[in-house]
Amino acid sequence: MPAAGRTARELERPPRSPARKREEAAKGQTRKKRRRRIQHAVFSLGNGLDMPLFVFIMVLLAIGLVMLFSASYANSYYYEDDSYHYITRQGGFAVFGIVAMLLISTFDYHRFHQLALPIAGVSLVLLMMVLLFGRVLKMESIAPAEGVATRWLQLGPLGFQPSEVAKFALIVVFAHMISLYADKMGTFRYGVLPFVGVLGLFAALVFLENHMSGTLIILALGAILMFIGGTKPRWFILGGALLVVMLVAYLAFGGKDDAGEGGVYQMDRISGWLDPFGDKSGSADTWQIKQSLYAIGSGGLLGVGLGQSRQKYLYLPKPQNDFIFAIVCEELGMVGALVIMLLFALLIWRGVYISLHAKDRFGAMLGLGLTFQVGLQAVLNICVVTNTIPNTGISLPFFSSGGTALLMLLGQMGILLNISRSSNVEKT
Amino acid sequence: MAKGTTEKIRRKAMGLTAFLIIAGFGAAAGSLFHWQILRGDEMRAEAMEQSLVTTSLPSMRGTIYDATGTKVLAQSASVWTVVLEPAYIAGDEALRRTIASGLSEILDLDEDEIYKATGEKGSYYNIIKRKVETDVRDKINQFKKDHEITSGIRLIDDYKRYYPYGTVASNILGFTGSENTGLEGLELYYDSELSGSTGRLISAKNALGTDMPFEYEQIVEAEDGHDLVLTIDETVQSILEKYLAIGIEKFQVKNGAVAVMMDVKTGGIVGLATNPNYDPNDPFAILDEKTAKAIEALPQDQQAEAEVAALQNQWRNKGVSDTYYPGSVYKMCVGSMGIEEGVITETSQFTCTGGVKLDGVKDTINCWQTVGHGTTTFREGLCNSCNPWFMHIGSLLGGEAFCRYREAFGMTDKTGIDLPGESYSIYHNFDEMRPVDLAVESFGQNFSITPIQMVTACAAVANGGYLVRPHVVDRIVDSDGNIVKTADTSYRRQVISEETSQLMADIMQQNTYSGTAKGGYVSGYRISGKTGTSEKVAKHAEDPSKPMEYIASYCGFAPAEDPQYALLVFFDEPDRENNGGVYGGNAVAGPIFSAIMQEALPYLGIEVKYSEEEYGQLDMVTPSVVGMTIGEAQAKLQEDGLFFDVVGDGDDWDNKVIEQIPESGSQVPKEGFVILYTQGYDIDNALVEVPDFFGLDKVNASYLAAVSKLQVSINGVQDEGALAMLQNIEPGSKVKKGTVITLTFANNETTEAFANIAE
Repeated sequence: MPAAGRTARELERPPRSPARKREEAAKGQTRKKRRRRIQHAVFSLGNGLDMPLFVFIMVLLAIGLVMLFSASYANSYYYEDDSYHYITRQGGFAVFGIVAMLLISTFDYHRFHQLALPIAGVSLVLLMMVLLFGRVLKMESIAPAEGVATRWLQLGPLGFQPSEVAKFALIVVFAHMISLYADKMGTFRYGVLPFVGVLGLFAALVFLENHMSGTLIILALGAILMFIGGTKPRWFILGGALLVVMLVAYLAFGGKDDAGEGGVYQMDRISGWLDPFGDKSGSADTWQIKQSLYAIGSGGLLGVGLGQSRQKYLYLPKPQNDFIFAIVCEELGMVGALVIMLLFALLIWRGVYISLHAKDRFGAMLGLGLTFQVGLQAVLNICVVTNTIPNTGISLPFFSSGGTALLMLLGQMGILLNISRSSNVEKT
Repeated sequence: MAKGTTEKIRRKAMGLTAFLIIAGFGAAAGSLFHWQILRGDEMRAEAMEQSLVTTSLPSMRGTIYDATGTKVLAQSASVWTVVLEPAYIAGDEALRRTIASGLSEILDLDEDEIYKATGEKGSYYNIIKRKVETDVRDKINQFKKDHEITSGIRLIDDYKRYYPYGTVASNILGFTGSENTGLEGLELYYDSELSGSTGRLISAKNALGTDMPFEYEQIVEAEDGHDLVLTIDETVQSILEKYLAIGIEKFQVKNGAVAVMMDVKTGGIVGLATNPNYDPNDPFAILDEKTAKAIEALPQDQQAEAEVAALQNQWRNKGVSDTYYPGSVYKMCVGSMGIEEGVITETSQFTCTGGVKLDGVKDTINCWQTVGHGTTTFREGLCNSCNPWFMHIGSLLGGEAFCRYREAFGMTDKTGIDLPGESYSIYHNFDEMRPVDLAVESFGQNFSITPIQMVTACAAVANGGYLVRPHVVDRIVDSDGNIVKTADTSYRRQVISEETSQLMADIMQQNTYSGTAKGGYVSGYRISGKTGTSEKVAKHAEDPSKPMEYIASYCGFAPAEDPQYALLVFFDEPDRENNGGVYGGNAVAGPIFSAIMQEALPYLGIEVKYSEEEYGQLDMVTPSVVGMTIGEAQAKLQEDGLFFDVVGDGDDWDNKVIEQIPESGSQVPKEGFVILYTQGYDIDNALVEVPDFFGLDKVNASYLAAVSKLQVSINGVQDEGALAMLQNIEPGSKVKKGTVITLTFANNETTEAFANIAE
């Protein structure tokens, strides 16, 4: 047992014996209790924090920042006239994010029980604002469009994707609901209906942004949480089948006309995935895949060396964003890429481990949700960059450029750390 | 509140996690293995290829020098290519306008087109003008500086070809195209030697095409081309071209002309002038004004075609690419064959009755002198250019020997001269040669050779029988001055013996002195010459309604006792209807041959040796009398046997002479006169118009000159019947009284023409 202070577990643990409780009560130490609380708040930053998780987070963040600097260098230099353009922004957010993470790690996650519905409400409002400003009012300054998708909201200096908020909101709400309905999850009324309603609402709003990858992640996260929470497997078979039918219908009816015009961009991405060097390799998405594969292939086993990427020199479009892992593969080679994948795997493993040791259902589900969100994004991103699956716009956690996204990610990691503080994980 | 986890939850969560990590990252790792290890090299190569840009570095093309090694006939100098890089400026509307208006003014281009070109976002390299010179480059740089333009306009080094002597030797030199590649002449034939090797700069570029911040450069240095030193001497070449132009003008030649001079011992071509020619500095301009006007007069739709034809024609080197019937000039070869083969001797006799009737040929083949030459020796036969005599030699030789010698003289092969476009000759093979073909070929008709083949054969007759290799490049020198290659001056074979050669030279010298080739006579040199007047039978056969056209040629060598240089002059279709009726080789080509030899031989260092007779007719040098009084001048001139006249105030013999014509040191005929000019003479009174001496005999020419207060110096044939064919000052031009006009005389006898060859 560490000497410095008392662990969170001890703090929350019920008194060992009525005699001792009485003894303490006798001392009537409300003053002492307050002092202990302050002591806890100040000194417990490292106190009860799950050290392996914290280390994995910090190592990934550090590597991510170095790679972002390298990958963004050329774009910064040529387009922003400042080689440090992206790294200074990202670095600033990272520092801010670490502070936020540590602070949030002291914020008792149980408060999210009460905050679940307000967060969901705010998230829905933000999603609807995107649609209102972007689709209806066409106010580019508030909701800028990227190609067919409109997924950003610019509120003053703060630019972010409400779909990111929606993912978090969904996790919180689902964790809340699952812990509430704990034993009734096997029923249709409690285990399926309310979940499908919430999930359908979020997914529909994100889908209307034309944000395919966001929709898929939200659906996947929701399904995972429901499945672990206890919803009967047959509903997933039904839901999966329904989804496939809808997807096929979408792609079929949204397909190109005889002249090859119009249609959904997803079809282009699928054809680009199947033949990245084909005739259509001039189109933006396929070009990106092609250049990504050039970068990955150039790396070979050991890579061309940190900072030595050739493909980042404006060949691979926006190498600091979704395709940053291609530059990682080029500079650090297959070995470097595997090490980073291993780090992500360790992070996921630790997150799941912490969650499964949370002392209540809400903490467990919240932790699993956050862990799976990071895990899903990392896996999907890496699979996209290596052309394992068709191109979707998923960024790589800890690596891809994006200040508010990084801030949110670190905040969520803070929640996970808080769960670790109060869980019964063995401390290291 | 529910318990943290149950076993069920634990199992599901662990299962999902394992699935996510193993399936997700496993698949990704598989992909990485596929792309990085299995197809890594392929991907790397593709990536390299798209990022490596090769820039070619131009090499300096070699210089072409004339035989003196000092006169530059062709040289390259730096110029620049103006390139737009629209990608950097396409977004800036104001800048585009500025650039369009600025460049259109400097480069004399269309402003709208430049403006349009600046808008092509995807383009990084758009050539808008090639080969701008230093002044334009400076203007562009100043323009960029003035408007603070840092990108968007680039100047790329290049070279341009200059030909300092303009049209001189244009048909030999050729010219280069926009990529510094030879398109004609030596520029084409020696293109690989002249061009050197283009260097390459391989550098890594980003997708915008600008340099990457890190160093990756590989340079293959450009290697400058070799220089050519020609056997062509610019001075001789200019002399050839000058007289060729005079001849064309004088004799209204319709179809071009060639003059080619060869060093008989080495085969080096000293000069090769052809007409039409062009200015290689501007090869796409039609040089001949008449042709240009004729094209302009054509209907619009035919102009382009006619222009192409005219350009092809002026670029053509008539000396190597055109074939013609050598005509009687060829008799020098046939005579050599007869003597060498022993079928005739110098004194063999043959009786010419004016024509030969062959079995199976409808018409008699006539001698040009249809009454016949009677019984003559071979020497006389050649000097008479008697056709039946040479048909006789042909029949004595027989087809087999004739064809053997014909081949030995190089008439059946290309000469291999180092110029592009040499033609094959056209002749009857031995197998298909009928008696009539042999008879007609014996005096040079009905088989076609190139002028260069004829002059090479002539050189063999001259130099002791050796067939040389004609060439125009003496040596190839690299940029450090080392000789890379020298011309092969060895003989191909000996055709005739030295004795035969000497005998032929002697007979031909007599021919020039007193035979049918007197037109080529040059005072002070013993010329061995032979005339030729070839009928363009094939052309006549195509359209018999038009009169027969002729090629007037003269071929010979000098000096006869030790032949050094052979010269062939030929004019294709002198217009006898408009030039006073001359078309024969002796009358048309002879005087030009004579004038060229007279000017070129002293320059080439051939010593003048006058015979006594020639010496008596020689002009004398005018003494200087400027600054003397009229009285003193009169006394001085009298001493030299010269007369005088005064322009200005001549009453007072104490007046000073301020000017004299002819000037001191220049030629004046013996017993000629000097005009003395005194202070304040009237210039109008001093000038006279030069009359046209063409076609006058010596007496009348002297009389006409005297009337005009001019003097004549006689050149060429000195015989009584000779007529003035050339004058060195154009009729109608104004000269001062007393000026000496040099007239070249020739006999206007038309020899060698024959008739009635019906095929």
